[in-house]
Amino acid sequence: MPDEETLEEGVLNPVQPEIQDPLLREILEENDLQADPSRNPLEQPAPLPDPDEVVDCLVIGTGAGGAPLLARLAQAGRRVVALEAGPRHDPKTEFATDEKAQNFLFWNDERLSAGQNPVAFGKNNSGIGYGGSTLHYTAYTPRAHRGDLTLHTEFGEGVDWPFGIEELEPYYEELEQFMGISGPTPYPWDPGRRKGYPLAPLPLNGAAQLMERACARLGIKTSPAANAALSARYYQEGVGWREACTNRGFCQAGCSTGAKASMDVTFLPLAEQYGAEIRLGAYVTEIERDATGHITAVVYEQGGRTVRQRCRNLFLCAGAIETPRLLLLNELALNSGQVGRHFMSHVGMQVWGTFPEDIRPYKGIPGGLISEDTHRPKDADFAGGYLLQSIGVMPVTFATQMVRQRKLWGQELRDYMRSYNHIAGINVLGDCLPHASNFVELSDEKDARGVPKPRVHFTAQENEQRMNRHAERTMRQIWEAAGATDIWAFERYAHIIGTARMGTSASEAVVDPNGRAFDVPNLYICDNSVFPSALSVNPALTIMALSLRTADKFLTNK
Amino acid sequence: MPHYPEGTVRALLQTDLVTPATRAALEARLTAPGAYEPQFFDADTYRLLQAVAARIYPQPDRETPIALAPAVDARLLRGDADGWRYDSMPPDREAYRLGLGGINQAAEARFRQPFVALDEARQDQIIGLLAEAQAPGENWHQLPQDRFFEELLAELTETYYAHPLAQEEIGYVGMADVPGWQRIGLNELEPREPERTS
Repeated sequence: MPDEETLEEGVLNPVQPEIQDPLLREILEENDLQADPSRNPLEQPAPLPDPDEVVDCLVIGTGAGGAPLLARLAQAGRRVVALEAGPRHDPKTEFATDEKAQNFLFWNDERLSAGQNPVAFGKNNSGIGYGGSTLHYTAYTPRAHRGDLTLHTEFGEGVDWPFGIEELEPYYEELEQFMGISGPTPYPWDPGRRKGYPLAPLPLNGAAQLMERACARLGIKTSPAANAALSARYYQEGVGWREACTNRGFCQAGCSTGAKASMDVTFLPLAEQYGAEIRLGAYVTEIERDATGHITAVVYEQGGRTVRQRCRNLFLCAGAIETPRLLLLNELALNSGQVGRHFMSHVGMQVWGTFPEDIRPYKGIPGGLISEDTHRPKDADFAGGYLLQSIGVMPVTFATQMVRQRKLWGQELRDYMRSYNHIAGINVLGDCLPHASNFVELSDEKDARGVPKPRVHFTAQENEQRMNRHAERTMRQIWEAAGATDIWAFERYAHIIGTARMGTSASEAVVDPNGRAFDVPNLYICDNSVFPSALSVNPALTIMALSLRTADKFLTNK
Repeated sequence: MPHYPEGTVRALLQTDLVTPATRAALEARLTAPGAYEPQFFDADTYRLLQAVAARIYPQPDRETPIALAPAVDARLLRGDADGWRYDSMPPDREAYRLGLGGINQAAEARFRQPFVALDEARQDQIIGLLAEAQAPGENWHQLPQDRFFEELLAELTETYYAHPLAQEEIGYVGMADVPGWQRIGLNELEPREPERTS
């Protein structure tokens, strides 16, 4: 009888020591499996770096925060080295069109999710590998709006960014042209842009057509969305021709064709072409300083060895959980008391429904259609706003989310899932105000490396709850107008933002408006952690814009 | 409720509409050996997990049901994580130990028998109580019932719908993506997409 006591005795000892850390396990497994050792940098130990060399710019992380600046600094002739915790993949041969098989793209080290609205990680957020979480981002690339950066001025709530949208606009434009973003020109909610998107929008799938039809009936303006997947082949410097998207709909579990502008097919090859060195499987554990408080070196684990790399400047681009975790572990840049504070996650309410039409939600980019009419709704009882997106979805992702919300089981569960091909969703992406009770801290529980696991506290506050209600009402109206039955809502929060905020005052922010840490003169932070407010748009494009801007500020000020 | 013909995914796996990496992932599930020796759970607890999984995913229509318990056992043995855990929950191994024990406590409290000895209707009553966070049992003082049920349900669901036979059941053929998809709008099907039979 497996009650507590007897079960304890009955549990067999694991045949192998427990390895909780997926990266470590992946390394071990790859060592066993890799047929061609020359492809795997972890198989043959990388040569130890010259212990005396002082690298000009050392970058931690190769995602949307690290990759663009890596390329920029390399192009400026700097000696740059990037440390990436994960391996490099060949998407064409290694990426399966199978959700479960693609779990290696996610940062699967366990995080403890606390608060009234615990945030899901793993496939929902951070990534690992050459390209970071852009390997599994949906590639929504709307620009932030002018008002997103001035929430406090407009509403008396939240905070303003230390600069206006004009600081980001040149970078948005550069990124759109460089990555080959597909989207509507003129952009309906910002028609005055200097330059349009370089490529036409991607085609609309079933969910997008349903939303388009219903919104037209309700007087809500819609448009094909801006997306960093190619609607036509595109020449990429440092890479060559990238082929157009084949509508395989698998963006969130890895693009196998190179059509999606993840960092592995854009900025990272460009950086390498200009001499950047990217060390894979390099998991940073320590950041060393001298008596003056300057960073002198970074210590990382790679292939079972501990390696020290000296550096003149450090760019920390590990995302809004691992960045504050490294700062807290190393007691760095803590004077403002803001490290780990003001964690934000976008209001990401979804509404699903069943339709008589055949939808086949696995085809086409998931978010084909957008509306930004709700950026500042006239009847809003909250600060900020949100955008609306149609959603297609893969079956495992849909089913697991659905059961978490609806708690269906038994025959009823199987029966509902038989309608998968007739199900479509819409979701919102809404601003989230910074709040003192939402934060990241180090827990007492250790991971396989003996490093404290992060605990993330998140509770949606009054403003988020009001926005949720408004959004759910709006989306239910749309789906009713579209002819849906069995409509249900899923309250969720997406993206990890805040925790090392940017500002003008050393007592209230971790980094200055140029991305440099107030406390540590040769430390720059560049990822979603520096966002002072969450924005009402998907964050990736703005992270990349900040990344290029941080590099430019660094190069100008040196 | 839509039904689709059987054999669609299995047939597609034999074609070059599926990449080798995709085929390898799906065929491994299709050809997984029927007999699985639990390595993390003891035999009794494993049978209990199997019985619970059989009520959450009843498969009277299949001669050989899609096995769901092996994936849980193998994962817990490896110590795999999926990136996060509710802070209110103990570590996964402890959660399963307490949760499965709690299901048995509920069965004993209601029917004076262990869960595996109950008939299906009574087993369903116990699962129903768990789903509503109303199951009796002292283990639930240490483990939030709603979160345990949610995690159990999500894990079984991931395994079930990752299986090619379950994907045939719901008419999913997204794995056959080598030529890409040109007909992606409403009611637009490509020849390799199965039409519903009812």
